[in-house]
Amino acid sequence: MPLNTDVLWYKDAIIYQVHVRTFHDSNGDGIGDFPGLEQRLDYLQELGVSAIWLMPFFPSPLRDDGYDISDYQTVHPSYGTLEDFRKLLESAHERGIRVIIEMVLNHTSDQHPWFQEARSSQDNRRRDWYVWSDTDTRYKGTRIIFLDTEKSNWAWDPVSKSFYWHRFFSHQPDLNWDNPAVRDQMWNVMKFWLDMGVDAFRLDAVPYLMEREGTNCENLPETHEILKALRRKVDEQFSGRMLLAEANQWPADLRPYFGDGDEFHMAFHFPLMPRMFMGLKLEDRKPITEILQQTPEIPPSCQWSLFLRNHDELTLEMVTDMERDYMYDMYAASKSMRLNLGIRRRLAPLLNNDRRRIELMNGMLMSLPGTPIIYYGDEIGMGDNILLGDRNGVRTPMQWNGGWNAGFSIAEPQRLYAPLIQDPVYGYPAVNVAAQKESEHSLLHWMQRIITVRRSTAVFGRGSIEFLHPANHRILAYLRRQGKDTVLVVNNLSGTAQAVELDLRRYKGNILIEMFGNNIFPRVGDLPYLLTLGPYQFYWFRLRRV
Amino acid sequence: MEAMSYGPSGAELKLEDESFLSDDFLRQLINVGEVDILVGLPTHNNAKTVGSVVTTIRSGILRGFPRERAVIINADGGSRDGTPELVTGVSIDDMRPASNLYALRTLHSISTKYDGGAGSGGALRTILAAAELLRAKACLVMSPEAAHLQPEWISNLLRPIYRDGFDLVAPTYRRHKFDGLLTTNLLYPMLRALYGVRIREAYLPEFGFSGRLGSQFLGQNGWHDGNDQAGVELRLTLAAITGGYRICQSFLGEKEHIERRSSDLVRALRQTVGALFSALETDFPLWSTVTGSKPVPTTGSEQELLLDPIRVNRKRLRERFSTGVAELQSVFQSILSTSTLAELQRIARLGEEEFHYPAELWVRTVYEFAASYRKSVISRDHIIQALAPLFRGRVFTFLVENRNASATEVENNIEGLCLEFERLKPYLLQMWKSRE
Amino acid sequence: MREMIVSELSQAMHEMARGFAHYLPRLIVMLILAFAGWAIAYVVKVILRSILQLIKFDKLSENAGASQLLNKAALPTATEMLSRFVFWVTWLGFILLGVSVLGILGLQEQIASFFLFLPRLFVAMFILFFGLLAASFFSRAALLAAVNANVPSPRLLSLAIRSLIIVFVLSIVFEELGLAEQTMLVAFGIAFGALMLGLAIAFGIGGRDLAQRFLEEKFVRNKKEENEDELSPL
Repeated sequence: MPLNTDVLWYKDAIIYQVHVRTFHDSNGDGIGDFPGLEQRLDYLQELGVSAIWLMPFFPSPLRDDGYDISDYQTVHPSYGTLEDFRKLLESAHERGIRVIIEMVLNHTSDQHPWFQEARSSQDNRRRDWYVWSDTDTRYKGTRIIFLDTEKSNWAWDPVSKSFYWHRFFSHQPDLNWDNPAVRDQMWNVMKFWLDMGVDAFRLDAVPYLMEREGTNCENLPETHEILKALRRKVDEQFSGRMLLAEANQWPADLRPYFGDGDEFHMAFHFPLMPRMFMGLKLEDRKPITEILQQTPEIPPSCQWSLFLRNHDELTLEMVTDMERDYMYDMYAASKSMRLNLGIRRRLAPLLNNDRRRIELMNGMLMSLPGTPIIYYGDEIGMGDNILLGDRNGVRTPMQWNGGWNAGFSIAEPQRLYAPLIQDPVYGYPAVNVAAQKESEHSLLHWMQRIITVRRSTAVFGRGSIEFLHPANHRILAYLRRQGKDTVLVVNNLSGTAQAVELDLRRYKGNILIEMFGNNIFPRVGDLPYLLTLGPYQFYWFRLRRV
Repeated sequence: MEAMSYGPSGAELKLEDESFLSDDFLRQLINVGEVDILVGLPTHNNAKTVGSVVTTIRSGILRGFPRERAVIINADGGSRDGTPELVTGVSIDDMRPASNLYALRTLHSISTKYDGGAGSGGALRTILAAAELLRAKACLVMSPEAAHLQPEWISNLLRPIYRDGFDLVAPTYRRHKFDGLLTTNLLYPMLRALYGVRIREAYLPEFGFSGRLGSQFLGQNGWHDGNDQAGVELRLTLAAITGGYRICQSFLGEKEHIERRSSDLVRALRQTVGALFSALETDFPLWSTVTGSKPVPTTGSEQELLLDPIRVNRKRLRERFSTGVAELQSVFQSILSTSTLAELQRIARLGEEEFHYPAELWVRTVYEFAASYRKSVISRDHIIQALAPLFRGRVFTFLVENRNASATEVENNIEGLCLEFERLKPYLLQMWKSRE
Repeated sequence: MREMIVSELSQAMHEMARGFAHYLPRLIVMLILAFAGWAIAYVVKVILRSILQLIKFDKLSENAGASQLLNKAALPTATEMLSRFVFWVTWLGFILLGVSVLGILGLQEQIASFFLFLPRLFVAMFILFFGLLAASFFSRAALLAAVNANVPSPRLLSLAIRSLIIVFVLSIVFEELGLAEQTMLVAFGIAFGALMLGLAIAFGIGGRDLAQRFLEEKFVRNKKEENEDELSPL
């Protein structure tokens, strides 16, 4: 099945986020690789995803899970060769699956040759590729992102006896984007991969590209200029490719990253995600509707990207202190689960392995406006291991079957890059793809089904959203519309049965058709439309006027 | 906290006549669902004050209980000045994003009309029914005229219930030493002497109660007795005492001072003394066996007395006492004993300088009234009305005794009066039993 | 001649005897009725007395102020009075019934009208009793309200109301009994009208200033002194 050629393919996409290292090991060294991933593309095709987003696979000392890059134009030898990657790309495209890769523009590893050169002396030709200072007082007031490990945004370089700027770990010095040489070089890097056939980039940490004294060094206009320039080049030379922004900001501050449709195509809607979890615990739709109502309109060619969990902690940066305390108390009672203003747990453990809650959250993910991203393993309800440091607890090997190393690798278990999840509830003998394929009502089959329903109409990816405001605050209800198609989504956020009356007067005369079973429901009349829902239940209705 | 771990025993509604809740209100209650905190607000044409009261209530909830599910229930007696709209206007929901308010959750504020008008007990009944249907753990009734309301009052009244497991939280205030003399000279001492519990403000314009107590009172109180409902709040206090519920007091702040006229004394008497006297009959098994009195736990400071000088026309008080004694002689003859009446007539003839209505005589007066009330020697309402002029005489004496007194001295005087009530309790018992 | 006298006598005697014999059964019936009536009346009296004691009729009549009146007239209590009254009425009724049996024409009409009168008598007594009760209640209510509202001369007001109600009740009673009802009605009308007129004149002339000040206070809201002595009781 070839790729569709729609320039706006990303609006209808279902994205699967995966790290090569975690998926499948083909050569028995205990680390997942490209050929292994290629072997598992059938599984992904069956699941119904239309794009995969690969975590960084560049050469790297791996002190920040690959986001500290030491060579931009090849792949880490643990995962295979560049040729392996090329083959993967081809196989994916044959199955109609696009490939999104990471690109870290803001910083490199301190092991990168560029930095090694830059720090060697103050006169080196690449000195100016990074941001240096004799004191650590410049750009005061800029917030520290990795609060748990870093005390300052300046690090002392003993080699050149000066400070260098780093918004992330101290071993990830920031590139100096004021330098035209840096800009040219980074475009060349991007071009390298685009030429190979990569469909999209997730540009990491874009708000922090530029620094200016007297500002918070985030979201500066100069940064936007750079990004627009990159987009122009992409549009000119590689039409149909996509740029996805990783910018953990409030919606109003995110809006500029879309420009007028001339900057990023997509951006993650970070603030929505913790509010979905909050709404679920509060049993109140208010946090969810409020954030979406405050979300600004974006250009028609742009798209939000929605997700429930990812490789990072469930970030609570974009919530108030009161909300953060609430989330901590509700979802991360143990302090070891908390990291950097976030919670480092997978989806299933966060939801207490409650199948209904998992379904409800996925239902919202698939029906709210934006392109959904599924984190690998969440489609089978994998668990986590918080005792692994940093955020590695959510990056354990994919569980394919209940046998040797869960089918991930033939190596000795001690050689695996990370131990498997083994507890009786989430361990691989209990939670794995093979078992779920056998079981008719497994989470895997359910995910396949909902993805199929989602893809059956363009309304979810491309339609508008209008919230209904039933008096029962436990019900989140909204209408998705595109052209003549209208879909009504009703979600019960509470764990108890609920009744709700919806004001559907404008749709009087429409028959409701429930989209999973295709059964007809009563027609909308003059009276408020009464629906009853079981705990955590949701409905998708197509509205049809006969 | 949202898990279903609490439910008052007998979660089924014990209303004999469920139709007193309108369909529309029931629908609104369905939409609210289970709550942790319920604030009840009875109103009738209070548009002048209710706006700020309800805004303060909302602040109090957001500050004191930000994570709890809460609802404001307005029981309105048929206001024509837009009071209900003012109350429902403070609700927090996603339809009207209130930009500067920070709230984790939706806060419903709903209103319904109750039958019967003010003083019929209909407002409290509606609030109790809503509390039971919504399974509220901690509830609070607030007066719509509480001009000095502070957000902390909400926590002060609810926290003892929500966190410490009390069932009734009575308020205490900072008020002038001459404010609320009916409470300090009659209600508090008598309640204390008879029921053995030292609740300073038994007549509750604002108070907190638990879902348990609310359910029980809703079920056991006869709501159809018509006029008897004046003073239903006092009956709630008594129900808490006789039911063995945990009671405490909480200091709030300054009490609002509403302009009153003389007709309000009779109304106040009906609502308090009338309710108390009629309750004595049913509660006889309890209060007849109680001796002495015990204090209740108090949070926050003790009640405070303000001492600023206040203009009072004492002369008129004494005159009205004397007039009353003279004119109502025929009535008093049916109510009081001959010796008490003679004593009253004697002091009525005294001039302003010598006039003194001693504590002991006052206690005997009150007790004889209570006994006569029980026997219904004349219409009960008339008995209550007849008490008014005598009360004025007592007020005169209290004013004179405490004219220059400090707060401690006033408290001591009140304490002395309480002990007198306790000491003469056998007298009441004797009268009670004698005309059996 | 003697034979004529004897035969006349005996005829007369026969007549008398016949007449006697004619009436004798009825006389006997009358006596039986009288006796039975006495017995029944006695039983009724006892039952009524128990009932009245049960409903504490004495207390009611005390409220009505009737007991005080009876006391002053050195009469026994209301219960006793009522019981005895009922006793006599019942017995009288039976006696009259017996007399009517005798068939004496003129008497029968009177007796019939007596029985017709009885219900109205009871109604009148009923009205009187409860009227007195109401008078007592309302006069006391007025007294208390006046005292508490600091109206001057409360006892006078109370007495006035009591008198008015009693007069009104009496007029209804008399109307019910059919005794000079017109007179009573007119008397009541005159008394009431005179009272009202008197009050109006007194108020209008004598209380002119007072009325002015009263109206001023009501509409100009000048309430300094009035509230000074009224502290908040609760």
